Amino acid sequence: MPEVKNADELFKDFKAQSVSEFFKKNAAMLGYTGKIRSLTTIVHEGITNALDACEEAGILPDLYVKIDELGQEHYKVTIEDNASGIPLVYIPQVFGRMLAGSKAHRNVQSRGQQGIGVSGAVMFSQVTTGKSTKVLTSTGNKYIFKGRVQLNVKQNVGEIVEKEKIQNKWKWTGTIISLEAKRVLYNKSRYSPFNYLRMTSIANPHARITFIEPDGTRIVFDRGTDIMPKPPQPIKPHPYGITPDDLITMSENSSKANLSQFLEKDFVRISSGKVAEIGRQSGISMKTSTKRLSWGDAEKIVNAFNNIKFFAPPTGGLCPIGGDEIRKGLETTLVPEFCYTITRPPQTYHGGILFIAEVGIAYGGNAGRQGIEIIRYANRAPLIFDQGGCGITEAIKSIDWKRYGIRDLEKVPLTIFINIVSTHVPYTSAGKQAIAYKEEIYNEIRNALMDGGRALSRHLAGKRRLYEKKSKMNTLLKYVPETAAALAHLTTGDKARIEEKLASIITEKYVVPEVEEEDE
Amino acid sequence: MNKTDKKLQNMAKKVVKQIENKNAPSIDIPQRGLSNVFFDENERILKIGDKTSKRTFINIAHTKKFMQTMLVSSYAQRLVRDEKHAGIRELYYALKHSVGTGKENTFEDQSESNMVIEDLERMLDVLREQLNLTADRRGFIYGDIVIVDNGDRFNASKLGRGGWSVPGNIEDIKFKKSNVDYILCVETAAMSDRLIEEKFPTKNNCLLIACQGQAPRGIRRLLSRLHTENDLPVVVFTDGDPYGWYIYSTIKQGSINLAYLSNTLSVPKAKFVGMTMDDIETYDLRGVTEKLKDLDKKRIEEELKYPWFKHKKWQKQLNKCKKMGVRIEQQALANKSLDFVAREYLPEKIEAKDFLP
Repeated sequence: MPEVKNADELFKDFKAQSVSEFFKKNAAMLGYTGKIRSLTTIVHEGITNALDACEEAGILPDLYVKIDELGQEHYKVTIEDNASGIPLVYIPQVFGRMLAGSKAHRNVQSRGQQGIGVSGAVMFSQVTTGKSTKVLTSTGNKYIFKGRVQLNVKQNVGEIVEKEKIQNKWKWTGTIISLEAKRVLYNKSRYSPFNYLRMTSIANPHARITFIEPDGTRIVFDRGTDIMPKPPQPIKPHPYGITPDDLITMSENSSKANLSQFLEKDFVRISSGKVAEIGRQSGISMKTSTKRLSWGDAEKIVNAFNNIKFFAPPTGGLCPIGGDEIRKGLETTLVPEFCYTITRPPQTYHGGILFIAEVGIAYGGNAGRQGIEIIRYANRAPLIFDQGGCGITEAIKSIDWKRYGIRDLEKVPLTIFINIVSTHVPYTSAGKQAIAYKEEIYNEIRNALMDGGRALSRHLAGKRRLYEKKSKMNTLLKYVPETAAALAHLTTGDKARIEEKLASIITEKYVVPEVEEEDE
Repeated sequence: MNKTDKKLQNMAKKVVKQIENKNAPSIDIPQRGLSNVFFDENERILKIGDKTSKRTFINIAHTKKFMQTMLVSSYAQRLVRDEKHAGIRELYYALKHSVGTGKENTFEDQSESNMVIEDLERMLDVLREQLNLTADRRGFIYGDIVIVDNGDRFNASKLGRGGWSVPGNIEDIKFKKSNVDYILCVETAAMSDRLIEEKFPTKNNCLLIACQGQAPRGIRRLLSRLHTENDLPVVVFTDGDPYGWYIYSTIKQGSINLAYLSNTLSVPKAKFVGMTMDDIETYDLRGVTEKLKDLDKKRIEEELKYPWFKHKKWQKQLNKCKKMGVRIEQQALANKSLDFVAREYLPEKIEAKDFLP
């Protein structure tokens, strides 16, 4: 007879999850897997926070990142920004609470879609070293706050564990965070903080990022433009892409009394006529109180959403980098000899989710990494991992590059930049490092790449023609002295004169333009 | 001024004038090759057509040849003025040196300078000899004829078994009396040696001329002059294969390459004594034939198409050769006995005038 255990016995070992357990279990989702990736994620969270803070304050970002090696697999990461600083009362929230931040419940395109914000980095530091995170910040007033914060997981709040006020003699404004992490590793691979910063710099040409590597090497990713990007506008959500959970959350925060008003006012593209149609299809009274929306009803409404045709959402909520800015980013960082960039017009996938594909092609200079280099972004944030499983990569690989004059894919100095802008980027997984295959997105990328490929092939053909012209001319000139000498002997003429005239006939015929042909 | 010098100068002056006028310099050269050669049915010789090709300095494909043409012209002019003669190989070495960065030479191979010399001959209508250029001597003459060369007077039957080797340029040679009835021109030196040992020239009262393969210019000019000046008929004796027959056709009608020289180098009345495909049957030589190679078969097809091989007797020989798939060498006659060729084969055929046209 098998022994039957009673419930008391079974629950004897049940304890509240510890912070570290929670972290380990959710590490992959949070971006903390692998030694190199964990370090990159820390830098990512800090940089994202810093860039967002600068942009919201309307300040051109001047960021400073320093990584120190303290011991084996033990590093310190310091990130400084020049934004407007954090008022003292908000410090525990910013650094201590998961899913804090001003954007979480707004339907705005944001780069902070990955990870869980800088609080995740604080937690990682806490879990691996047992140490709190050092923070210096000032809003530009008389004092600089200097202290340490840590995470109280039970209450989901940050705690300030040390604090002091320093006189702000320099009228400094900004924030510095400094945290330690163990079980991490620095190198210069594709997955490293270095490449992350390089990619960030390309997509954010308005930012200057100074990076000090553990060995002391100082790298400046300089600014390519002084123009701040337009901040994205919050837009009401479109019925496509909404989940029952989204609907419940929205209804709880809504000020509208009944479903009819709620759907019409809190969404875009839902007219009173569409409300009636939703009511008919879902069989739910549109007069139901917003506060009493049940999960079952929410599911029925979402089903109705997906069966009804809505106009595509307005495009104001999307904020592409822009072709010119991408060009500046690529030119500043890669110094290519040829550069093509394009921001495609907005399109929708899934019938209604807006997205914009932005593509840049840089050839020559520092472009390429032993062959084609692919740099992927979602809403400006670099996608570093899972390149192989990404729909972007698939689209790039589907192009027959030989058609565009690229012969050796293993050696070509080519960097391909892709940024997918959307209010709902279709990631393949919670890791948010790869974009799922969507036919519409795939086709947009391909079309942009083929346009770019044609421009590149014209550039390469021009280069080849120029080269051929030059070598032809040199070949011809090579035979001039002999020919002139023979002619001079035959006619008892002046060798120098014949030589000069003959050479000038050639150089005039094969005039090489001073400036290379326009890129396009 | 020497006529050749004048021609060279005029050509160069035209080029310089083009350069002075800022025009891309170019020269017109009569085309080489079969496409610019025709068979004159009246004179029965090959002649060059009037197709020319333009050699332009700024055409990358012509530039080097243009330079080479000027180099050879200039060198030839110097030879003519200095009254010196140079072999065509000497010319090659005299003009060969590096150009540009040094990885390239003015001439990479003697065939390049040889070609330019032929171009000049056609372009200026001069002979190689008039450019004071000579080729290696090849071929010899044996038999009862008195020749005066460079002040030396000798009888070509009294120079030992080797005869007199014929120089590239024979324009200045004089023939005195000859006590022969005809000339036998033989393809190989070995067969000539056999005939001399068997005293064939003496017994049959003929001159023996060995061309040693494709007849060189000196031999061809010698045949042509002896034929016209001393009124001697020419009988040709080669291997029985497409190459041997082409040697005969060159002696008779001229060659494609030197079609512009046919009137001074050919003997349209020459006759062919052998070897023929019929000889294989007549003299029962089946056992000593050689199989045709692919190249031989290709050559047969080409010759079948040449207008100067259109005579039905030649078409018959070529087709028979193709059909039998074999060739027969002169020396295969040794299969009968060493003296068979001198004692029976040649005397019988020549006596019976068993010739091909």
